[in-house]
Amino acid sequence: MTHDLIVLGAGPAGANAALAAAQAGLKVALLDEQDGAGGQVWRQPLPGLTGLPVSAEARSGDALRAEISASSVDLRLSRRIWSVGGRFRVDALGPQGNETVEAPSLIAATGAHERVVPFPGWTLPGVIGLAAATVLIKSQGVTPGRKVVVAGCGPLLVAVAAGILKLGGDVAGIVDLAGRRDWLAALPSLATQPELLGRGLGWAVKIGAGRVPVYFGHAVKAAQGEHALERIVIAPVGRDGAYASGPDITLETDALCIGHGLVPGAEVTKLLRAEHRFDRLRGGFVPVLDAYGRTTVERLLACGDGAGLRGAIIAEQAGRLAGLAAAHDAGVVPADRFAQIADPILAAISRARPFSDAMAGIMALRPAQVAAIAPETVVCRCEDVTRGEIDAAHEAGAHDLNQLKHFTRCGMGPCQGRMCGDVAAELLASKVGSREQAGYWTGRPPLRPVPFDALMGAFDYSDIPIPEPAPL
Amino acid sequence: MKRLVQDERPLVAIMVDGDSISARAGDPLATALALAGRLRLRASPNAGAPRGAFCHMGVCQECLLHVDGALRQACLTPVRAGMAVELRGVP
Amino acid sequence: MIHDLAVVGGGVHGATVALFAARGGMNVTLLERGALCREASGVNAGTLTMQMTRVALIPYALRAHAMWASARDWLGHEVGVVVCDGLSLAFTEREEELLTYRAGKRREAGAPIELITGAQASAVEPGVSDKVRLAGYCRVDGFANAYLTGLAYRRALLGEGVALREYTPVAGVEREAGGFALQTPTGLVRARRIVLAGGVWLEPMLAWLGVHLPIKTLVNQLAVSERVAPVMRTVVGIANGLLSLKQYPHGTVVIGGGWQGLGDRERGGVELLPDRLIGNVRLACHAIPALRSARLARAWAGLEAETKDALPAVGPVPGVDGAYVCGSVHSGYTSGPYIARLLADQLLGREPELPLFPIDRLLSPGDAPRGHV
Repeated sequence: MTHDLIVLGAGPAGANAALAAAQAGLKVALLDEQDGAGGQVWRQPLPGLTGLPVSAEARSGDALRAEISASSVDLRLSRRIWSVGGRFRVDALGPQGNETVEAPSLIAATGAHERVVPFPGWTLPGVIGLAAATVLIKSQGVTPGRKVVVAGCGPLLVAVAAGILKLGGDVAGIVDLAGRRDWLAALPSLATQPELLGRGLGWAVKIGAGRVPVYFGHAVKAAQGEHALERIVIAPVGRDGAYASGPDITLETDALCIGHGLVPGAEVTKLLRAEHRFDRLRGGFVPVLDAYGRTTVERLLACGDGAGLRGAIIAEQAGRLAGLAAAHDAGVVPADRFAQIADPILAAISRARPFSDAMAGIMALRPAQVAAIAPETVVCRCEDVTRGEIDAAHEAGAHDLNQLKHFTRCGMGPCQGRMCGDVAAELLASKVGSREQAGYWTGRPPLRPVPFDALMGAFDYSDIPIPEPAPL
Repeated sequence: MKRLVQDERPLVAIMVDGDSISARAGDPLATALALAGRLRLRASPNAGAPRGAFCHMGVCQECLLHVDGALRQACLTPVRAGMAVELRGVP
Repeated sequence: MIHDLAVVGGGVHGATVALFAARGGMNVTLLERGALCREASGVNAGTLTMQMTRVALIPYALRAHAMWASARDWLGHEVGVVVCDGLSLAFTEREEELLTYRAGKRREAGAPIELITGAQASAVEPGVSDKVRLAGYCRVDGFANAYLTGLAYRRALLGEGVALREYTPVAGVEREAGGFALQTPTGLVRARRIVLAGGVWLEPMLAWLGVHLPIKTLVNQLAVSERVAPVMRTVVGIANGLLSLKQYPHGTVVIGGGWQGLGDRERGGVELLPDRLIGNVRLACHAIPALRSARLARAWAGLEAETKDALPAVGPVPGVDGAYVCGSVHSGYTSGPYIARLLADQLLGREPELPLFPIDRLLSPGDAPRGHV
């Protein structure tokens, strides 16, 4: 064993898990695919840029990165984790090729990725994800286009729009799936976190001052353009997300930033065959966890948005808890001391919960929106599989997500079903009765595609441990 | 796409399908290509439709291209002076 | 109602027996605990080669190859079969010896394999490494798209009127007057005769009838690249059989060869071993160097059943009238349709064209069923 604990993902959850466990005395390896800690939400700005607006997220990220540098945590960045097995062995491709770390405990803190409910033209260059836009704005000082439309649902809408305005860019419109009523309904819950609500209101003021048109209760019906995005058509939707009667509006734009919430990246816990359950509010299938983040697999824990969407504030706390639980289970934190530290963290999570749930509610997948996807619309980007083909596969006998994959190649491409999986499952669920029936993609290595050349390294034929021949 | 903050990193030349393009050293290649007006990075497998960078965080694989002969995701690859980029069949 | 035949297990073997039995006029039901062809029959490497087939099975595999090549005629649906040349490569002196011996034995059994030089191999397969010393060259080779197998069989079985019971696990079998009663979650399913076609699960299935047939479970690791420009046009293996490699028309390259992962029949393929995955990939890229520039998109494990003598278990169950077994065919995907059709012929009262593989040879004296069944 090279370490006492391996933590996968150096965002708010994983980094805090690693720090808590290291403080308790464990030898911790912390791996991340990006070249800086902080995850996507507190992503490290590119060095060499001046004049990037200083945000609360940037400050949190800087503080976290400083804390990791000052700790005993063995931080390994630019590592593409591709295999997780044993109890536990992690293989990752890094600058020096494939490397292996081993530890008796593992914490998966792999974050979430974008969910986009498809519409005609969503595959056009110039259409990007909302989370993608935050990366460009916050860490690269780049606006996605000359006239940007921000669309979809959730807090990222206003964050992206305000971020572009702060940089000095132009926002041609905000198209919010949620109506004013939805936001008003969420307001009491949001008010439980005055600082975060204040931040959101600050964004709203910025947007108001920028005289940005806001289309509440609208969705993008189509993105159009010959080789890249030129315009979008939007239309009113009901509270359930389905198109409602009302006039189409055309907006000229060269960049559409769109997202309909996030999907937990629970691939590691799926690969290790922990038990999962479907939780619409938390974004999809998430690992079954105890209060401290322990999965149903011994010494495997999970925390952060990858274990169910709860946002960055809870992710930090859940990370601390998981790190502490791993240390306790390793025998270095006695039970009374464990409770003494854990109880206030549990209380903090409870306090943050109404806000987190309200946000998650606004971002949760709306089944009627999925039902409205047109037959000819591409759902699986990698393999060009349309909604019509998915429906036809169900007719032909595909009753779960993995069978759908066999029948259509939906989810078989290089994104490994991350971009289409949630929507494809929802489409199938509408036919077979439930998301539980439709299931989820079986966890498979590699966790991300890996180049063969880097995987193999330099070798001689005689180095290959070829097994004994099969019987003749 | 446009950068709206001051950039102190050196401008370097990279080759894209045989054309010389100037880019900021260390910028993610996907961003550098978009800043140079190159949004179309590949053709989709069946329909042959144009595709470009979508997630900018290593997940969607839409920005896959060849860098010095090897397949790389442009959003995870920093620009280096002289790198040779080949797009995969832009429509 | 009582069916003429109940087949338990919906892989290539079970589905083929059911299909031909129904075509022969029997009233057939097929029970499968999951969806059709989602275990070994749907996740194997799809190779249809003679150069990895056991010598004793070559006559069967040749006929099965012809069946796969004409799948559209008898199955009625596309399984993405590509018929192409096959090469088995030797990179070392030891492998040359192995290849010469093995190709010779397979040729004696009827496989049209000839030995060619490395330069000749390059002419057959321009993508092949220049380090090849000797190659076995066979024109009867090819591959199917294994993950389409279930879809094709499903349509064919329904078209033939087979009562298809997917997601219906069988918990046990009772013998009763005039046949058998299969226990399922939705009640008993009755049939005059039964075929157990459960792959690696044949051992527990036969235990229902009081027969103890040990079946070893192999956990074969497989890998696939993402779509790449053409790097090869043949099926490529190596002398000792630990590689199978081919590129599908849509561009993905499947790497197989039977490198073992972790798992068992109770839990399935639990875990892939990264060192063995890397070894398998190195071997593949050594054989086809242009593959180096591709990426690994996905890896998985498929279970393969093996009897004590690594030959099939196909024929009547000794001591249990009306019960049959069909499976454990080495390179079972390649030979499966033909061997299962032979069993269907026997069930229909026709003389099989080639002999079956009765399991009496595999049973110890104490393993035959006792009176209580």
